[in-house]
Amino acid sequence: MADLKRLQLAVEVGDRETAVEVTQQAIDEQMPPKTVLDSMTDAMGVVGQRFQDGDIYVPEMLISARAMKAAVALLEPLLVGSGYIPDKIAVMGTIKGDLHDIGKNLVGMMLKGASFAIYDLGTNVTVDRFMAAAREHKADLIGISALLTTTMGNMRGVIEAVRAADDMPNLRVIVGGAAVTKEFANQIGADGWAPDAGSAVILALRVVGEARAAATDRAGVSSPASAASADPIAAG
Amino acid sequence: MRLLAITCDILSRPVYHFAARSPHTVNVVDLSASLHAEPLTLRERIQAEIDAADPAVEAIVLAYGLCGGATAGLTARTVPVVLPRAHDCVTIFLGARDRYTTEHEATPGTYWYVQDQMERGNDLKGWLLGDAARADDVVATRAEYVTRFGADNADYLMETLGEWRTRYERGAFLDTGLAPADAAADRAREEAERRGWRFERRAADLRLVERLLNGDWDSEYQILQPGETLAMSYDEDVVQVAQSGASNLPAR
Repeated sequence: MADLKRLQLAVEVGDRETAVEVTQQAIDEQMPPKTVLDSMTDAMGVVGQRFQDGDIYVPEMLISARAMKAAVALLEPLLVGSGYIPDKIAVMGTIKGDLHDIGKNLVGMMLKGASFAIYDLGTNVTVDRFMAAAREHKADLIGISALLTTTMGNMRGVIEAVRAADDMPNLRVIVGGAAVTKEFANQIGADGWAPDAGSAVILALRVVGEARAAATDRAGVSSPASAASADPIAAG
Repeated sequence: MRLLAITCDILSRPVYHFAARSPHTVNVVDLSASLHAEPLTLRERIQAEIDAADPAVEAIVLAYGLCGGATAGLTARTVPVVLPRAHDCVTIFLGARDRYTTEHEATPGTYWYVQDQMERGNDLKGWLLGDAARADDVVATRAEYVTRFGADNADYLMETLGEWRTRYERGAFLDTGLAPADAAADRAREEAERRGWRFERRAADLRLVERLLNGDWDSEYQILQPGETLAMSYDEDVVQVAQSGASNLPAR
């Protein structure tokens, strides 16, 4: 029987070959694909925590995310076939003027594991492109990153555009990147800030969960448990 | 006036040059640019120099910008501390925030070279990019990654961490005119061309350094009075005096 503990450990240490091998075995044994996915999501939660604790650095995060990505590619057709679809939508990019996207890519990979569909706009993204993509994909969340203090001021324009848009009341914006501080995030009115990729996942789940709960309340329906509360990363 | 100048060694030549011509008596302390790799350490080192200033010093000038937030949190003790309103030394070498903004908006993917940085074997962008730029030393970095993560992951990391280079399009060498710079400029050109960037050799404008050392401090400089702490301003001023209780320090 496929050993999900082995799969989890493979993702944690970035052993892509083993992650793919165990996932294929689980598929062959017709293990529920969501169960397999959850074990890898748990692994990325561990990786994110190690990063927060300063025990590992960006290269370790990257190879873990890569191992999970390869294994998830095998699972995806089965997940779709079993009716599982990402239930949250995020549009992501680095802010205009910023060409450095390693952090943004890590957050994107980790959000995928937390049931987000990711529309990655890449680097040097203008306000208009963020807004158009959010509208097109009916996004729950815009995630913006900046490495440099020279560019992070451009984030302000995205927040202002979102606040001015009447047609997307549930859209939320989170910001991050090496130079971005919590105080700056507050000052520009972002819905959240996270210091690293692991924290960004927890933040994204909370922010989207709260937005949905608020929308439900506005609609006059009793509020169900938020999407975030059932998620293994948020619970962990 | 007796000044203490604390400078990143990327700016050592210009700082010594203008210190020698300043109407004031200037003592210069230079700190390694490699301290940028650990912003908290850089801040602690600068603060330690501020704290250790000779009692005869009447003002301290910093040849630093915000430097990714590393200088936010510095506190003036018994004498004023002055620094240019600049995100980093590129603005200081270009001579004005406006000029930096114009350059960055026209070509955000610019890798800046300066002589002192190259002669000291420092890689400024490297400190900002961390592991990404360490990948510049391709052979050693890959070997380290192979040992730690295996060959397959090592190749992936080299490709991923070096990907920013593909988005850059210009290598620009800023010539201060303070020393023969052809050899450094040639090295910059070779590297830029190897990376597929167009190369430009541009004249630096050292007026911000000159006025810093001359005590000619107007709105282009932030002056911290004794007891005041530096903070990011998140606007065109770049830096400001911290409000009490503010926690606007970078996360790391």
